[in-house]
Amino acid sequence: MRSPTLGFKAGLEIHQQLDTGKLFCACPGYLRQDAGDVRVTRKLHAIAGETGEVDVAVQHEAGKEKTFVYEGYHDSTCLVELDEEPPHLISPAALDEALRVALLLNCEVYQHTQIMRKLVIDGSNTSGFQRTVVLARNGYIETSFGKVPIDTVCLEEDSARLVSEKSGKEVVYRLDRLGIPLVEIATAPTLTTPVQVKETALKLGEILRACKVKRGIGTIRQDVNISSPGHPRVEVKGFQDVAMMEQTILTEIARQQSEKQGASQVRQALPDGTTKFLRPMPGKARMYPETDLPLLYISKERLDGLKKSLPRLQHDIRQDLLKQGLSSDLVTLVLDGYVPLYTTLVKRHAVSPVLTAKLITLWTQEVGTKAHMTADERASVLTEAIYDEILEYVASGRLAEGHVKGVLKSVVEGKSVSSSLPAPGLDENALEQTIRALVAEKPGLRANAYMGLVIGKLGTGIDKKKTMDILQKVVG
Amino acid sequence: MAFIGKPGDRVRLRLAQEEVEGTVLESHEPGICLLKLGSGYNIGISADHILGGEVLGSAPVSQLPSVVRRSSGKPVIGMVITGGTIASVLDPKTGGVKPLASVEDFVQYYPALFQMVEVKVIRIPFKIASESMDSEHWKLIAQEVGNLVNDPAIQGVVVTHGTDFLHYTAAALSFMLRDLGKPVVLTYSQRSIDRPSSDAHLNLQCAARMVIDKAAGVFVVGHATESDDYCQALLGTKVRKLHSSRRDAFQPVNTVPVAKVWPDRVTYTGSFTPRHTKPCVVDAVCSDKIALVKFYPGQSPDILDYYALKYKGIIVEASGFGHLPVSESGNSWIPLLKKHIRAGFFVGCVTQTINGRVDPYVYSNGRELIDAGVVFLGDLLAETALVKLGWILGHYGWKKDLEKKMLENVAGEFSERLVC
Repeated sequence: MRSPTLGFKAGLEIHQQLDTGKLFCACPGYLRQDAGDVRVTRKLHAIAGETGEVDVAVQHEAGKEKTFVYEGYHDSTCLVELDEEPPHLISPAALDEALRVALLLNCEVYQHTQIMRKLVIDGSNTSGFQRTVVLARNGYIETSFGKVPIDTVCLEEDSARLVSEKSGKEVVYRLDRLGIPLVEIATAPTLTTPVQVKETALKLGEILRACKVKRGIGTIRQDVNISSPGHPRVEVKGFQDVAMMEQTILTEIARQQSEKQGASQVRQALPDGTTKFLRPMPGKARMYPETDLPLLYISKERLDGLKKSLPRLQHDIRQDLLKQGLSSDLVTLVLDGYVPLYTTLVKRHAVSPVLTAKLITLWTQEVGTKAHMTADERASVLTEAIYDEILEYVASGRLAEGHVKGVLKSVVEGKSVSSSLPAPGLDENALEQTIRALVAEKPGLRANAYMGLVIGKLGTGIDKKKTMDILQKVVG
Repeated sequence: MAFIGKPGDRVRLRLAQEEVEGTVLESHEPGICLLKLGSGYNIGISADHILGGEVLGSAPVSQLPSVVRRSSGKPVIGMVITGGTIASVLDPKTGGVKPLASVEDFVQYYPALFQMVEVKVIRIPFKIASESMDSEHWKLIAQEVGNLVNDPAIQGVVVTHGTDFLHYTAAALSFMLRDLGKPVVLTYSQRSIDRPSSDAHLNLQCAARMVIDKAAGVFVVGHATESDDYCQALLGTKVRKLHSSRRDAFQPVNTVPVAKVWPDRVTYTGSFTPRHTKPCVVDAVCSDKIALVKFYPGQSPDILDYYALKYKGIIVEASGFGHLPVSESGNSWIPLLKKHIRAGFFVGCVTQTINGRVDPYVYSNGRELIDAGVVFLGDLLAETALVKLGWILGHYGWKKDLEKKMLENVAGEFSERLVC
């Protein structure tokens, strides 16, 4: 039987939010659930100018139907998102991070490039365009099936978030997402099986996660360009889950081949592995220079500096962590966003790396889940400073490893670290003396019964594991 | 190596390790060749890196679309274009900025305007940024507008203008167009029309609506808020640009807006002179021997020697109530003020707080300045005061009544009541 993927060609396009604050202003890049402080109403107009290309009158009629409402916040959005102030110079932090991605993808970086305006008339950008700049080209990544070429790496601003749409007349957007930097990676259309597409997506994901990127749902968007024999190119947008990629692509190829007359179009990936029609394939994007900003110059010195500070890829970090004695499962937990914290803490405190890893991943998650906290709430309580304090007590011998989780639990309940410490324990000799005295006083009991007596005498703060070890030794 | 091709040409450039194809764009960076790639992105290439290359094709000659024919029956207006953002567009083929220079251009970019009105005449006396203007430009605009309003077929005139010094021109027209019986509306844009979100569309439509409505006078019409819902009409002598970039940059000072303006209606919120048929007298004179000085703490009165030597008069943006250092100060301005004013030099004071009026009687400092001959100009805006001083001094024989004329309410520039 003929393979369904024979003659199949695909390319990947990945949009990943960077965790650096906004691209063209000083606003933070977080999303909000509360209603906006400011509501501004706007219309968008057709752009005339490229004579012959646009039917101005028609576009004008089409455009003026809709009213766009933008919700902004006094403390986290500014005049730039509202299109009431020219863009500030491109964020150096975002640019550096995007350049790091380009370098990790073995790309050649353009020395001079221009920030462009890509026309978007659905209202998702207050200005009517999205700012985007091509930074690098001609890269590659290594995969199990050879090199996959990277065509371009671009840096662009994310759009405003759709809140509601009233009968197609009034569309409400929130400005919190507008301007968050997105790095866009486009591979060449050289992938020939769905398995290759998936592996490439995973590999790119790994590289991105080594950089300062946002994590969680909606922070990465993956599109696949698919063409199968006899069918024009189709772009499938919005894969949230790489696990579904293979199935979705296979289903899409089958759909394409069952169509008598295929059309070039954009389709949305659905959670069940099928796709639905979104819109016809748009023509080539209309781009103009962003006249409010100077040409972007990326110096050799800047690139050399970045090359020295490139983050390490997960594969290499994994090997290191295994060498430090972490179990494979624990390594996986640390790799899920905790590498910088872990590295800092291990460097700072003379404490076992395994304990440090468990503290910031396993135990923190366990204690947080029991207290019904979200990841964000947890992170706001169990800060780096709290971990520092705990590990300092462990390093100085004031806190036994067996009590660390108890301290975490107590901190989550609102206590300070110092008031969560168990009562000053006896040193091992003193403990053993106390135990021997108790056993001599009431001989013939079982180890568990003596444990009760020890607790009765010394309080619940004792290191129970150590006590039991001594009891076993003494009672036999 | 030099550049290959001219803006608009398709070229292939040979670099050390590769060849690049694209369209040459106008570059404003010396030594950098700006190229549009097939993807639509622009990149720059250092001229030193270009080893050679060839022109693949020349710039296509752009064709203007056929002009929408103006049908009759619509109200007829005149337009005066003076430059600024509202009348400039980006040419995407070359990357440069080009001016809108004809009725056809305006029809293409502002189709909605031409659904409302018929533009009989567009006059373009010059096209410059507003910071490049001087009183000669104010006079030219006044002449052009005067000719248009005296055409019985024309209901009123829209003047498009760069924003930064628009309120100076508005004040100048207010003084120079005597017995004005029709609306003259200045408008602008803060966001260029090559972006879909431009404020120019609403501003122009509302300006045209105000021009065919019932109030006579010089007004500035533009966004009232940050939203694209309505504009406000502001008296030409009581308006100031109060924000460098927001759409609602122009706001009334010491008064209320004359009207709220939508593309299809006007609601009056302040008093106005109704239209009348008396011919407009263009009194376009202006002396440039005037200056605007902003006082700051510690400023030496020595500068008065300089100004008195070169100028006929100055407007000083003094303290809130109009104070300058007097005899109690180690830096008293009184002796030099007395000396120069006695010799015929004019010193008028306005407040640097923008809002409110100067008042010489609250503190003795003010009375000392009055005694020295300083003229307190009430709630006059500094810019309006400057223009008015130039206009008065431009008239032969008016100098002897200078103080009286400066304090006369010629074009609504004084508010007797400051609204709460």
